[in-house]
Amino acid sequence: MQDFLELAVSAAASGCVYGLLALAYLLMIRPTGIINFAVGEWAMVAAFGGFLLLSKYEWPYAVGMAAVLAFMLVLGWATERIAVRPLVEKGAPILAPILALLGMLVVYREVVSVSFPPDPHPVPFPFGLGRLEWGPLGGSYQSFFIIGTTILVFLGAWFFFERTVAGKSFEAVALHRRAAALMGINLSRVTALSFAAGAGMAGLAGLLVSPNISAHYLMGVPLAIQGFTALVIGGVGRVEGALVGGLVLAFAEQFTARYAPIPSGFAQGVPLLLLMIFLLVRPTGLLKARA
Amino acid sequence: MIAIARWIGAIVVLSAAAFFLSDYHNDVYRKLMLWVTLALGYNFLFGVCGQVAFSHFAFYGIGAYSVVIFLFQVNMPLPLAILCGIALCILFALAVAIPSTRLEGFYLALATLALGQLFIVVLNEGGSVTGGTGGIANYRLPDIFGVRIRGPWYTAVIATLLVGTLALLWRLDHSWFGRACRAVRDNPEAAAAMGVDVARTKVIAFTLTSALAGIAGMVYAFVDNTVNPPIFGIDNAFLLLFMVIVGGAGRHAGAVIGAVLLFLLPFWLSPLVGHHHALVFGVLIVVAILFQPGGLVGLWDRFSRSRS
Amino acid sequence: MKRLFALLGAALLAWSAHAQDTIKIGVITDRVGVSKPYSEPSTEGLVFGANEINRRGGVLGKKIELLIEDDQSRPDISAALARKLIDQGAVFILSMSLTPATQQQQTVTMEAKTPQMTPMNSGDTLTTQLPNPYFWQTGPLGSIQIATLLAHARSKNLKRVALITDNSDLGQLLARFFRGGLEKSGIQVVAEEVVPRGATTAEPQMQKIRAANPDAMFMAGVLTAENVLILRAYRQFGLKFPIHSSYNLSVPVYMSVAKGLINGVTFVDAYDPEKPEVKEFEAAYKKATGKDSFNLHGYGYDGIMMVAEAIKKAGSTDKEKIREAMQTLKYKGVMGAKGMEYSFPEGKRAGFDPNGMVVRVYENDKQGRVVHTGQK
Repeated sequence: MQDFLELAVSAAASGCVYGLLALAYLLMIRPTGIINFAVGEWAMVAAFGGFLLLSKYEWPYAVGMAAVLAFMLVLGWATERIAVRPLVEKGAPILAPILALLGMLVVYREVVSVSFPPDPHPVPFPFGLGRLEWGPLGGSYQSFFIIGTTILVFLGAWFFFERTVAGKSFEAVALHRRAAALMGINLSRVTALSFAAGAGMAGLAGLLVSPNISAHYLMGVPLAIQGFTALVIGGVGRVEGALVGGLVLAFAEQFTARYAPIPSGFAQGVPLLLLMIFLLVRPTGLLKARA
Repeated sequence: MIAIARWIGAIVVLSAAAFFLSDYHNDVYRKLMLWVTLALGYNFLFGVCGQVAFSHFAFYGIGAYSVVIFLFQVNMPLPLAILCGIALCILFALAVAIPSTRLEGFYLALATLALGQLFIVVLNEGGSVTGGTGGIANYRLPDIFGVRIRGPWYTAVIATLLVGTLALLWRLDHSWFGRACRAVRDNPEAAAAMGVDVARTKVIAFTLTSALAGIAGMVYAFVDNTVNPPIFGIDNAFLLLFMVIVGGAGRHAGAVIGAVLLFLLPFWLSPLVGHHHALVFGVLIVVAILFQPGGLVGLWDRFSRSRS
Repeated sequence: MKRLFALLGAALLAWSAHAQDTIKIGVITDRVGVSKPYSEPSTEGLVFGANEINRRGGVLGKKIELLIEDDQSRPDISAALARKLIDQGAVFILSMSLTPATQQQQTVTMEAKTPQMTPMNSGDTLTTQLPNPYFWQTGPLGSIQIATLLAHARSKNLKRVALITDNSDLGQLLARFFRGGLEKSGIQVVAEEVVPRGATTAEPQMQKIRAANPDAMFMAGVLTAENVLILRAYRQFGLKFPIHSSYNLSVPVYMSVAKGLINGVTFVDAYDPEKPEVKEFEAAYKKATGKDSFNLHGYGYDGIMMVAEAIKKAGSTDKEKIREAMQTLKYKGVMGAKGMEYSFPEGKRAGFDPNGMVVRVYENDKQGRVVHTGQK
């Protein structure tokens, strides 16, 4: 039982990282329909930012984190300007920006790859290596920090979309682009903001996970795949879906690795198999969009 | 009749080139033709039929591994091993395609992405059957009627594969089936209204192109006489997608141009810019999509239009 | 990377005077793929070695000319590049890339009867899977690594142990030989776990190992990030059983990325910092390049030195003569325990001395002293 709860904390922390990545996808898909696989590379860029500011120049954690996230907002905005807007304005099919962003994925990775030595780089923990025992629950400080931060982010996202005018305008665009434009919503501004916010979310995920997995130029693609899987499981209809999807994926991964009576090498295939079955049974995700 | 003669002529020309090349250029030429073959098949699936799948390299791998395993572990004769390999590819393709027709766009992409990763897991964990991470080596193509096919003659086999694949896809593309595929890609509802069985068209296109990838894999197995997991990973599946996009999705010429360009790019760039070649590759993809969304084949169209 | 180019540039200048009459040696390395963190330093060591040889007058009165190619860790490209190097007149090919890439190059060198060596790959199967008399391997084999670790742990009387690795090709291969070595010594492997590339935690795997309650844990993985996850979970759970690791933990990156996690972990290394040859090598490298070197540089350096030695011994650049010379070569290099000699016993093409590895231990987040040598 103790193992079970301990693993639940670990899986919840991983699930929160996946959830943030899924949220990054979702923020961009909802208003634009564009799936941006470069979120994994965004997480990597933020991780390297964390290495530079927090490890190398030893800025205070909060300041460094804020600086990295600010940079990510700019990066997201710039990415939209370079690789998305020209195509949208040209009226290219939706696949074109998706593929252009796949190209940007390679660009980000290679820029980092040629700018830093190839070894993984350490990123510090905000609260050190310690372990928190809280009743029957036990886990690293970082796990609880990840979980707490993610809960705050999702509460904020929920509040934004449900309770603010700006959030409603995002939703309006998501539901019907042309109608939203007629209502006076500035489409291109919504798109730019959604990319900035997406990069911010992906960057936050990267910052949170990188003390565990280090900053490395090949870390992006696994994160992108995990985040996208979480998105598909949760469904693109609702913000909470991203978190639910992330948690389901992480629990499936870690509980198979722990409890499934199969060789460990095969255990990594089980979530993939589950995903395929899941897709076939329920292609719209766990949470349905509200009518 | 003339058409057949033309295809045979193409095989002869493509094969003849091999006899004038050095060992190195011959090797690159062989691997290039295999990539072109894969790109042609993938173009039919993605460009013509509109299905985004990442399982193409898994089927390439199923073909390669199955022919080697059937030949040297089950000890089948070559023709039987090839037939069994094709059957296996078709079986797997149907198993993926039939349920996947319920999925659209990126859901199919994700399912096939999972399949591609699962395939690598199976190869790595396959013990003595797949040779694990080291793969299988130390075999060679059995003699056919007492003749050992090697060197440029094997290049001719690959040229035949390439032209055969192109000829098949060309005929299909210009038949009712090709039109049905395009209709399914552009507007499935309209296609269904016109009497096209959307699900069946998708399944046939997926199975056919997957089987073609499997056959190409069988030919690949004897290029270096070794098969190992890294070749069949998802990185290459993404490269294949880029090839079709950069060249021009939906056009055979586009697939050929994209495959030739992107396969040879590192060879050209590496001596010039060292390890920055991967960065140049990324920039090239973005620029190509931004300025030539129809692919490089669009440049040719514009050129020929301005001349006429 | 810059220093590699600088070295290359300097080397090119030196060679241009003798451009017509050089001995060409091909090098296949990885500059963009997964093997880059290992290939890059090894190749730097190799380039440094070639410059040293040329500074001392070259081999057989000729300078060595390196033809360096980047295979991106793609085995099919790697094989094509091997053909390119052979066409360009390389008399020897050194593979500094991924194990499957080295393997696929072998299909070419076997056919073209061109000597080939990998100074860094350590999978035992490289010399056993193909009967290629033109291929040698001088990296410390997985089977030697586990035997050395076990020799060190013998006093602890291990009965039940855990084995953990990752899903990379080399990690899987090493785990296979670790398992073989453990079973041969009559030690029971009570838990065998795999941490996949891209994992965000190793806690499920380490929980299973904790539940199996082993006397010790052996690490065979080679992915740095995943190995750090394992160490992190080990500390998190406050586990006490000792950890013995493959040579992967001998690279210096762990001193920074696993800071605070790694003290007390023992690992095999092919590098003894107290050895006179090592001190000499590190000083010379520093003097020539201004940079610090570590064990990965040594692998590449020893590789090119052995090749030069073999060509000298053959007395010609005839590939068959080089093959014979290589097979009977004995060479004392930078790598290995004090006094270790590379040699290729009759019928064997893996040249690292089975008693040439040392066991070291992490102390104060630094790679510390040698605590054991060889398999005795």
